[in-house]
Amino acid sequence: MGRYKIGDRVTVRDATTLFHTRTQGYARGSTGTVVDTRPEWIVPEDEAFGILENGRHEPFYVVRFNQKELWPDYTGFDVDTLESEFSESWLMPAGKERK
Amino acid sequence: MGSTPTQYDTLQRQVSNLNPVDRLLLDSPYTISNELYSVLRHVLHDVGGQPDTPVPFTEKGEEPWEMNTYVTCECLGWRGVWNSEERRRRENDLGMTQYFGLPYYARWITVATKSLIDQGLITTDELGKKIDEVRDRLTKRKK
Repeated sequence: MGRYKIGDRVTVRDATTLFHTRTQGYARGSTGTVVDTRPEWIVPEDEAFGILENGRHEPFYVVRFNQKELWPDYTGFDVDTLESEFSESWLMPAGKERK
Repeated sequence: MGSTPTQYDTLQRQVSNLNPVDRLLLDSPYTISNELYSVLRHVLHDVGGQPDTPVPFTEKGEEPWEMNTYVTCECLGWRGVWNSEERRRRENDLGMTQYFGLPYYARWITVATKSLIDQGLITTDELGKKIDEVRDRLTKRKK
């Protein structure tokens, strides 16, 4: 099983990416809650280049963010949320961010 | 499309509509800043949060060529030729002008073609010949 479980608070890494990634710019550095888990799969950074047999497999997590925390000028409701999926290496436990 | 002088003028006119008039001239400069480099290699499909003007909502049905493209690409995936993540990566690799210039499924079929060529499953001249053959057939039919 993966490192995180449902309910864990996680922060999305803001790492340098070259050529392809699924980790949205707006999510980087943001903190959310794990609301679901996905089975292990090849990370997009390998799958996108056709590296399948030797591709790195990782668990994926569905992370829920508050819209107001993602967008500084958000004009919707306080309860609005956004969910996205990340492979495990893109996440770190919340509160452990580099200051 | 080729690049004879007249066609070049046509291309110039078309492309001039894609960018604002006032912009930094990007004509293979000798040096650029790190900041500009990071902007230039931004992954194109990641558009969330980018400023934009309101877009009118139109209910558009799918056309046969669009569904044919979809089914062809899915079959290629099913037969292990490629996968949807590779498709997305190849769409990003088209570069900004083609990525935002082509219709959605034209992006799909363009990158499917490139994947087949990269893997040596078809050749560019083979495909060119086929396109000419089909074009001739359709032109004759219209006459």
